Parts: sequence; structure tokens; C-alpha cells
Amino acid sequence: RYIQLRSGQPPGKPEILRCRSPEKETFTCWWKPGSDGGLPTNYTLLYNKEGERRYYECPDYTTAGPNSCYFDKKHTSLWITYNFTVKAINEMGSTVSDPYYVDVANIVQPDPPENLSLQFEKKVYGEYLLLNWDPPSLGDVKSGWLTLEYELHIKPEEGQEWEKIFVGQRTTYKMFSVNPGERYIAQVRCRSDHGSWSEWSPQSFIKLQK
Amino acid sequence: PICPNGSDSCQVSLGDLFDRAVKLSHYIHSLSAEIFNEFDERYAQGRGFIAKAVNSCHTSSLTTPEDKEQAQQIHHEDLLNLVLSVLRSWNDPLLHLVSEVQRIKEVPDTILWKAVEIEAQNKRLLEGMERIVGRVHPADLGNEVYSRWPGLPALQLADEDSRLFAFYNLLHCLRRDSHKIDNYLKLLKCRLIHDSNC
Repeated sequence: RYIQLRSGQPPGKPEILRCRSPEKETFTCWWKPGSDGGLPTNYTLLYNKEGERRYYECPDYTTAGPNSCYFDKKHTSLWITYNFTVKAINEMGSTVSDPYYVDVANIVQPDPPENLSLQFEKKVYGEYLLLNWDPPSLGDVKSGWLTLEYELHIKPEEGQEWEKIFVGQRTTYKMFSVNPGERYIAQVRCRSDHGSWSEWSPQSFIKLQK
Repeated sequence: PICPNGSDSCQVSLGDLFDRAVKLSHYIHSLSAEIFNEFDERYAQGRGFIAKAVNSCHTSSLTTPEDKEQAQQIHHEDLLNLVLSVLRSWNDPLLHLVSEVQRIKEVPDTILWKAVEIEAQNKRLLEGMERIVGRVHPADLGNEVYSRWPGLPALQLADEDSRLFAFYNLLHCLRRDSHKIDNYLKLLKCRLIHDSNC
């Protein structure tokens, strides 16, 4: 008679890394798995909402990629505290992450601004570089639900230091002190009025005539 | 131009009233987030307060929109009144916050100053909102709905941990409610002044 010894270990403890809302209407959370103990391991994200005892499971494990949970508009509420945990399970046992608390109002990080363009303008009152950009397409700025502020980085191509310009809620900027013949690089980023900065937009260039 | 008191020709436009209100609400929320973060870093680390600060804001009895769809479906007069109610609900606690926070051990001046500034600006914003509601729907000014704050005894508890949690919870709720007010006012401004085309 043979005794089959099962090999492998219970899973290591997963860790919830961060949650982000790009437009105060949906949000996503990510976690880092622990060790899988050498066995196939499954992960379950459970949460409850402030004021409710009931626990829910992640509504969508796929939209935002591996080790993530995506909450669409129907599952997203602001100004309430979500309490998340992630449970790792394999043949040898299970482990639960520490709890992670989130209010969607405090995790807003928009996508970068779009369509940054640079043009050289000659007017009677002077010559300047005109920069224009659009808010990220994901996010409702028109209704006032999302209020964005912008920051510009601009420099001559050979320049070492970016000139950093905070332009508030405007989506256009005139830069007067420019040198004919120079090639300029610019990029722009945004943040919700009380959130964290987006990534920088792709860089845009312009070569000024001499 | 000389502006004799109350003469119609010098009335501030509704758009200007909203501009001022939004600047104030933005400023108040920024201060509220800063004072919360500063208190959290200095007094709350490792105490697990966040897990207890659940369903404990004195304004939770005021049903407020929790997402864009709800906020857009609510009539602007009702949303204005909600903003008024939340603001009024903070008059009393902010007054006591200023006096009680001074009793916290080694409380930094930056926390003290912010508590004083938030209390003063909240009063100014309430006055501004009453002018706005007076313009938009004068009949509504009479009904003073607000949520009573029962939290003073907790700010004066002898047990330090309980007392610090009471402050933590108050600042957590202040950060949350000031963000709501700021968000609703920006929405209302776009709706009423810019025809939802900001």
C-alpha cells in the first residue's frame, strides 16, 4: 500500500497595492500575489461598503488585467469607505491580505491630456508660441463633475531644465520669450482639483524659423 | 463705480457669486485634506482609526448623491439646499474643533491655524450660499434643515486614545463633506451659469 504525500505549501499573503479612479465614475484596484506554494492558486477579492454588513465579491476580474478588480459605474460610490481584502486559496490552504480602505473621492488620477499642439504666432503685439491641448477623453469636464488643472513642461531641445508652468484650468497657453531658430519640446499633465497628477502627455515639438 | 448699499444696479451677478463660492469651497477642501493628513501622520499611525471611522459622520443622515448620475438627476434647488444643510451642520463642530484642538498634546501651529481658517471660511461660504439660494429660490431660505452634532463630549474624553479617535473621525468627516460640497458647487455652477458646458 502506498501513502501519497501531497507536496506544496499554502499560498503566501497577497498585498493590495493601490486603487485608482480616472474620472470619479469608475475605479480599479490591484494586488500583488504572495508565493503560490508551488500549487495552482486562486485569488478572490471581497469587499464591504460603509454602512453595510454584507460582503460582496469583485464584480470584474478581467477588464483591468491580471491581479486586478474593476468597478464600473454601477458598483462605484463616492464619499463612502470601501473595505477590501484579497484571499489566496490553493490545495494546501488559504491566506488573506490585510484590509485596505478606500474612498473613491480620494483616489482620482486622470488620464493624460490629449492632442497637445504647438504653433508659432506673429501678432502686432508680439511673437509667441501658442500651446493648445484637450482634457483626457475619459472624464466629464463639461458638466463640472470633473474639474481639471494643468501643468506644462517646456524647454528648448538642447536645454537641460524643463520650465514648469502651472496654468490652472485653462487648456491653452501663450509663451512669449522664445528664440527664433530654436527647436522646442513640450508636454502637459493634469490632475483633478484635489487628486494626484496624471502621467505626462506624449511630447510635442516645434522648430521655429530663424 | 460707487455702490450705494443694496442698490440693484450694483448687485453681484449670480455667476460671480458662484465663482466666489467655488473658490471658497475648493480652498476649504484643500485645507480639510491637509489638516486630516497632518493629524493622521502625527497622531493616528498604527492605531487602526480608519477601520473604526465608518458610518460615523454626523451628516450621514442627510441623503446626498454618491455618484455623477444621482447628482445630475437631482434638481438644482434641492442640491443647493443640501449644500446649505451640510454647511450649517458644520458650524457647531468647527467652532468646538478650534477650541478643543488646542488641548491636544504638542499640537503644531499648522493644525491650529488650519482649524481656525476652516471655521472662518466655512462661515463665509455659508453666507455666500445663502445669497445664492436667496437669488435662485428665495422661498427656501426659511427652512433651516441641518444635522445636529453630538460629538463634543467625545473630544473631551479623559482617555487619550478615544479622544484622538474622536478628532480623527471629525477630521475624516470634514474632509469627506468639504469634498462633497466642492464637487456639488462645481456641478451647479456649470449647470446654472454655463448651461452644463464648462
